[in-house]
Amino acid sequence: MTVPDHSVYGVLGRNGAGKTTTMKMLTGLLRPSSGVARVCGVDVVKDRRGAARKIGALLEAHGFYGHLSGRENLDLTRRLLGLATTEVDRVLDVVDMTRDGGRRVGDYSLGMRQRLGIARALLGSPPVLMLDEPTNGLDPDGIADMRHFLRELPIRAGATVLLSSHLLGEIEQTATHVGVIHQGRLVVEGELARLKAELAPEIGLRVDDPARARAVLRSRDLTLSDDADGLVAQLRPGDNHDQVCAALNRDLVAAGVAVFSIGARAPSLEGVYRAASAVSRRPVSEPV
Amino acid sequence: MLTVLSVEVRKLNRSLALVLAATAPALIAVFVFSMLLRSKTPSEWDMWIGSGMAIWAYFMMPLCVAALTALVAHMEHGPRSWDHLRALPVPRWTLYAAKAVCVIALVLIMSAAVLGATIGAVALGGLIKPEAAAMGVLDLTGYAWSMARMAAAALLMIAIQFWTAIRFASFVPGLALGIGGTFFAVVATSARQGVFMPWQMPVNILATEAWRVQTALTLGGGLGLVVLAAAVLHLARREGR
Repeated sequence: MTVPDHSVYGVLGRNGAGKTTTMKMLTGLLRPSSGVARVCGVDVVKDRRGAARKIGALLEAHGFYGHLSGRENLDLTRRLLGLATTEVDRVLDVVDMTRDGGRRVGDYSLGMRQRLGIARALLGSPPVLMLDEPTNGLDPDGIADMRHFLRELPIRAGATVLLSSHLLGEIEQTATHVGVIHQGRLVVEGELARLKAELAPEIGLRVDDPARARAVLRSRDLTLSDDADGLVAQLRPGDNHDQVCAALNRDLVAAGVAVFSIGARAPSLEGVYRAASAVSRRPVSEPV
Repeated sequence: MLTVLSVEVRKLNRSLALVLAATAPALIAVFVFSMLLRSKTPSEWDMWIGSGMAIWAYFMMPLCVAALTALVAHMEHGPRSWDHLRALPVPRWTLYAAKAVCVIALVLIMSAAVLGATIGAVALGGLIKPEAAAMGVLDLTGYAWSMARMAAAALLMIAIQFWTAIRFASFVPGLALGIGGTFFAVVATSARQGVFMPWQMPVNILATEAWRVQTALTLGGGLGLVVLAAAVLHLARREGR
């Protein structure tokens, strides 16, 4: 796994795929069974404290003391990191929480705790931010705010962001680069735009009888899958979208299938993920 | 280490551990105060202070150590903050050592508070009921010395309770051990082997036999330090929390 400087790198994978384990290994909380992990060139096993100085982390559990205020909580970490007192005000300002800093954390909403967690990760302006499931438990407004905030983080904080999530939409809207982990192995990684561009073109269909439509499409030797909107047919490289759409429409109507909609689909992260899942079914030699 | 220690002290601000540290000595003082008000004849200072110290050594101190270690540990277990702390660029052993030092300091402060509050209660009781006022000499240095030795003898018990409280995220093992230890220490008072029980060590300091005091200081204090060091090392090397 290689995370480029000043990128927002989304680590994707199902629950239990190994996202949190990867984060824990990088933060020195778990010892890797084999392999090497470096953060800004520092080996996380050989020099845990050196690597930890490069990282600001928002882990699965917030770990805030509910009886203390947000400012007091940040101040504890600031002291442990040996930073100037002004750092607390700076990071509270970055996450727009200056006004609420004096309130007890026990009275904070989940969204405020997440923001405070990011503020704590930003203490000392570490070059790398690791955020494990940062939108977990947030309401829709909170998720939208957090996505906007995460997109801006490389500019606001000048940091590289490593973000883990099992939500495709979250990664698609925030990440510039992605890595897909499956059963503890990295199966695909790269710049999101490039990965999307490399995808085989797809056609999305909505029909009244998916089973019959599937039989018709199979006879044309197309790779099929389902998604929330209906059927997805993967084209072969060089296929012309419009001509294939027209031909499929003709075939389906001739077979008595009512076609509600048919058209080319924009390449999505879901497509990247599906392709990665197909790759993950093949044996991969190198662990993450 | 000093920075980590100062952070630990700040965490205690407005915490339940501090409430306990203030309440437990006050309860002993209230008990001694009410005993004095019920008394019809005057007694020696030694009797009143001795009563307070005995209650502290037998019940209150072991139970307070169990509760205190559980509360201090739960401060991290509750919000699951171990991961955050252990991911910071500070030596991990200092996180646990600072916590242990905090607990020991709180026990010392509570011991001093027990003495101070008991003297205050006896003095106040004497003012309200002069016919029962304490008489004789108030050997403050002697009592303080006994309290300090009692706290030193309690090190083994503190180390065992601390280790258990930090090791297990649930407060049940720590509290069960503390309550069980206190109970068996009281039951075992009559048995010769009972004096070697960690929870019995503070009581040994009050004994008239010199060997029991010596045992308490050597086993309770000396072995306590070794167990505490082992606990800190073990906890720092563990993966996970």
